[in-house]
Amino acid sequence: MTEKRVAIIGGGVAGMQMAIHLKERGANPVIIEREPTLGGKVAGWYVLFPTFTPAEQVVAPLKQRIAELGIEVMLDTTVTAIAPTCVTLQHGQLLRCDAVALCSGSTLFDARIKEEYGYGIYDNVYTSADLEQMMREGEVRMANGERPERIAILHCVGSRDEKVCQRHCSKVCCVTGVKQAIELKRMMPQAEVFNFYMDIRMFGPGYEEMYREAQVAHNVHFVRGRISEASPLSEGRLQIKAEDTLTGRPLRMSVDMLVLLIGMRGNDDNLPLATSAGITLAENGFFHPRNHFLDNVESERKGIFMAGTCSSPKSIGETLCEATTAAERIINYLNRSNKA
Amino acid sequence: MSFYAHFTLPFIIGALAMFAIIAYRYTSWIVQLPRRDKALLRKGILSFATIRSVWEVICESLLHVKIWRRDPRLGYMHMSLAFGWFLLIAVGSVESLLYTGTLLVPLQGHVFFRYFATAIDKHIPLMDNIMDGLLLFVLSGVALAWFKRLRSRALGMRRTTRHTIGDRLALSTLWFIFPARLVAESVTAAIYGGGGFLTGSLGALLGEVVPASVLQALFEPVWWFYSSVLGIFFVAMPFSRYMHIFTEIPLIFLRNYRLSVGDKRTSYDNFQVQACSRCGICIDPCQLQAELGLNDVQSVYFLRDRREHQLTLNTAATCLMCGRCSTACPVGIDLNALRLNSRVEMRNTPSEKRFVYLRGLDRSEGMGKVGYFAGCMTMLTPRTLSAMQSIFEAADEQVWWADKSGGVCCGRPLKLSGERDSAHKMVAYNTELFRKHEITTLVTSCPICLRTFKEDYNLEGIEVLHHSEYIARLISSGRLRLRKGEGAFVYHDPCELGRGCGIYDAPREVISALGTLLEAKHNRRDALCCGSSLANLSIGDQAQLRIASSLTQELEQSGADTLVTACPLCKKALGRSAKVPTRDLSEIVAENIV
Amino acid sequence: MASNFGFSISKPRVIDIDRNNLRKSNEILREMPELQSCIGCGSCTASCTAGNLTSYNFRKVHTLVRRGEYVGAYEEMNKCMLCGKCRLVCPRGINTRKVAMLIKRKLGDF
Repeated sequence: MTEKRVAIIGGGVAGMQMAIHLKERGANPVIIEREPTLGGKVAGWYVLFPTFTPAEQVVAPLKQRIAELGIEVMLDTTVTAIAPTCVTLQHGQLLRCDAVALCSGSTLFDARIKEEYGYGIYDNVYTSADLEQMMREGEVRMANGERPERIAILHCVGSRDEKVCQRHCSKVCCVTGVKQAIELKRMMPQAEVFNFYMDIRMFGPGYEEMYREAQVAHNVHFVRGRISEASPLSEGRLQIKAEDTLTGRPLRMSVDMLVLLIGMRGNDDNLPLATSAGITLAENGFFHPRNHFLDNVESERKGIFMAGTCSSPKSIGETLCEATTAAERIINYLNRSNKA
Repeated sequence: MSFYAHFTLPFIIGALAMFAIIAYRYTSWIVQLPRRDKALLRKGILSFATIRSVWEVICESLLHVKIWRRDPRLGYMHMSLAFGWFLLIAVGSVESLLYTGTLLVPLQGHVFFRYFATAIDKHIPLMDNIMDGLLLFVLSGVALAWFKRLRSRALGMRRTTRHTIGDRLALSTLWFIFPARLVAESVTAAIYGGGGFLTGSLGALLGEVVPASVLQALFEPVWWFYSSVLGIFFVAMPFSRYMHIFTEIPLIFLRNYRLSVGDKRTSYDNFQVQACSRCGICIDPCQLQAELGLNDVQSVYFLRDRREHQLTLNTAATCLMCGRCSTACPVGIDLNALRLNSRVEMRNTPSEKRFVYLRGLDRSEGMGKVGYFAGCMTMLTPRTLSAMQSIFEAADEQVWWADKSGGVCCGRPLKLSGERDSAHKMVAYNTELFRKHEITTLVTSCPICLRTFKEDYNLEGIEVLHHSEYIARLISSGRLRLRKGEGAFVYHDPCELGRGCGIYDAPREVISALGTLLEAKHNRRDALCCGSSLANLSIGDQAQLRIASSLTQELEQSGADTLVTACPLCKKALGRSAKVPTRDLSEIVAENIV
Repeated sequence: MASNFGFSISKPRVIDIDRNNLRKSNEILREMPELQSCIGCGSCTASCTAGNLTSYNFRKVHTLVRRGEYVGAYEEMNKCMLCGKCRLVCPRGINTRKVAMLIKRKLGDF
């Protein structure tokens, strides 16, 4: 079965992990990445929950291993159509292969659509991704260069929201929100941090403990209520409105910074890719596996596999785990088709 | 000579009953008109409006010009039945005059003239042929009506209206009237000769094929049948949708005398409700039908239910009041106003205690002769708000901000929900606020507010403008200079702004000053609704989304790189499924100020 | 009672589902099942035009009504201006205006 070719669409952590496993098991993976570098969304993150591990510590070893193994990587390359034995690249170029793996990830919700939160209108409204970027650069500052003294973090922006056609829960934003609250408090112990949430979903190992740490060790305030509007005050401050649902009264406060925890949504090109492959999309626009149990990394069509957030929002740990599983399934598939 | 035969009795009784019922109804409706309407009636009757009305009656009640414009086949059908029948009566009296030399021919004498003419030894072939031609004209309309029942799509309409039992009686007899006349006149021609190219030839044919004794035996029954279907139709008519045939006429006069449907039911509404011919033209433009498959709430069904006193809250409430049906209605019935006053009847609750909290409130900011009322919804589209701010600054306008930190609703949402008395409290509150701050111009970004400011507020001395009009003025007066770019914008007409307030050009002028203006397939008076209308009290979120998505698709098909609208609700609705940016007019203006 | 130093467990404090008559509540939910999908995020109350000016809390009122607590609900609902902002922000897509009108109809004198 040597040199069986597997086209991996997407060079984020899922694609890299999968390529490494496939190569180690004797297949010949090729990573097709739209961006000019490998690493995907994780490469833009600062530290990862729940252990505050630098994202670099996950991305760099994967990249290094890819290089060591001499895995073929096609950067700046877009896939326009897929089939189990062939992938169509931009400009109609064809790439023959023996199996295809979707590791194309997801898209961050465009916070400008939730206009009432003022992203892209007022200074000092940022997304969680912007905040990670600021942290990577070492400083969290307001537009006027000052340190924010009061920060509000809003959960569920572009998730669980019928009004923007994103009904699903993006799963990791709650944990990210708590993680970022702790980071902000560590950087600026004098600052006040308020997390506005509808439900707090701490589903993984160490997450609930992190939540508790935020409350007790860092005095992060948790307000159960979704912010409905933000409006500008003087000097770049913002007024936010929510209902403090636990007291049943409207709440209004001024903040220096508003952080929107943006959710994950299905990529825009999921539909054309799925159509070309003859597979269907889930109602929320993500790919969906053949079933959620025994074939959870396989598509409805033999020879097309999937891993990571292209099939639903996931944490990085889960994504890596799925990529390994999918690689295993692909090897089995290639062996079987070899015998046949 | 005598113009009486026993068979004419059903016709005579039917016709008398019909005229009596109609006269009684119209008289009582007129008598019950509110004093204000009666004054309008007295003032209008001797004015030019009467002449205009006569002309309109000819165009609409006889020729059906509006239906012609919509669909020539449907227009022909209505015209052949209405105008054809009218000509049969009018030319019929000329015929009897020429034959008998007297004008004193009773009604049944014209209608059954061929029967009585058997006693006159005289033939005027030209007259016979003209009458036959007219009969053929009407028959062609009847044939089309049959055809329409079978295949309404072929006549340019996807659906036709469902019928009640009363209508069926009138409808069936109406279909039989003219074929029965054809048969009666042909049998008569077979026995006595005469008749034109149609009845004469058919009679000659019958004379050859059917034995004379059989024809003789048929002679009286065929005339009895013709008279009977006429009689039944006349009796059924006032209790069926065919009441519209006559009612459209007084409606045209009253409308031209400026009577109107208000938020309180009056006896004038009867003329409006009964003038609906149930042609069903209002069904096709209805997006609730096209997108959601709802087909029992459209105006035609609403009017039917209201006429039959069977109106449910659900039927009254399930309507976007986008006005597309009113625009299409060939009779010009004020459909939205009627629905609104039905809602008022069902939902209005007078209460002195409501909204006492408004007393003394004033959260406005700033000072200026120009007042800006953002509207509740604009608070959720703050880009519009900040764009307006930059526009005011660029034009160096001193502005009084009515509701920047939360104001009081304009009242239209309550009005649209039928809670008229509560709406009046908002109207009174806001009017007082505007007066207190002595503004002379009121600009709003919300077409819903705009409409109610124009229709329900008494703002004498204050000019009310939509921001699109205001911006267009700033541009034309040179107070605002814009950079024209390469952008291709498609403009969506919000219902309340377009059909509601007649503002179509101002936003287009503004867009043209910025880039290329593109048009959607449905635009201006024909524009689609975004589905988020506050007038809809019933349909759910996913249904709204379906309506919005199909509109978004249509707009995107124009090839524009930006969707532009001028209503916060429309903007929110379009943004849900748009692939290209959706912007308010003010935003693209603010971005391109030189 | 003098013996309890003026303190007593006043009845209205407890939402007693066993005692509350849920008939109206069930009628309301039958007509608008989507109201059950409320996740209590409070966006409606936060954005509320009337709530900005008074103590009116739409979320609280409809939640109480669903629990069979009808006292005062009609009067509270009457503070609503039906402006529809809440509908525009509801993440569950609930037709909140219809909820307000329905509660008024079921509990008031319509």
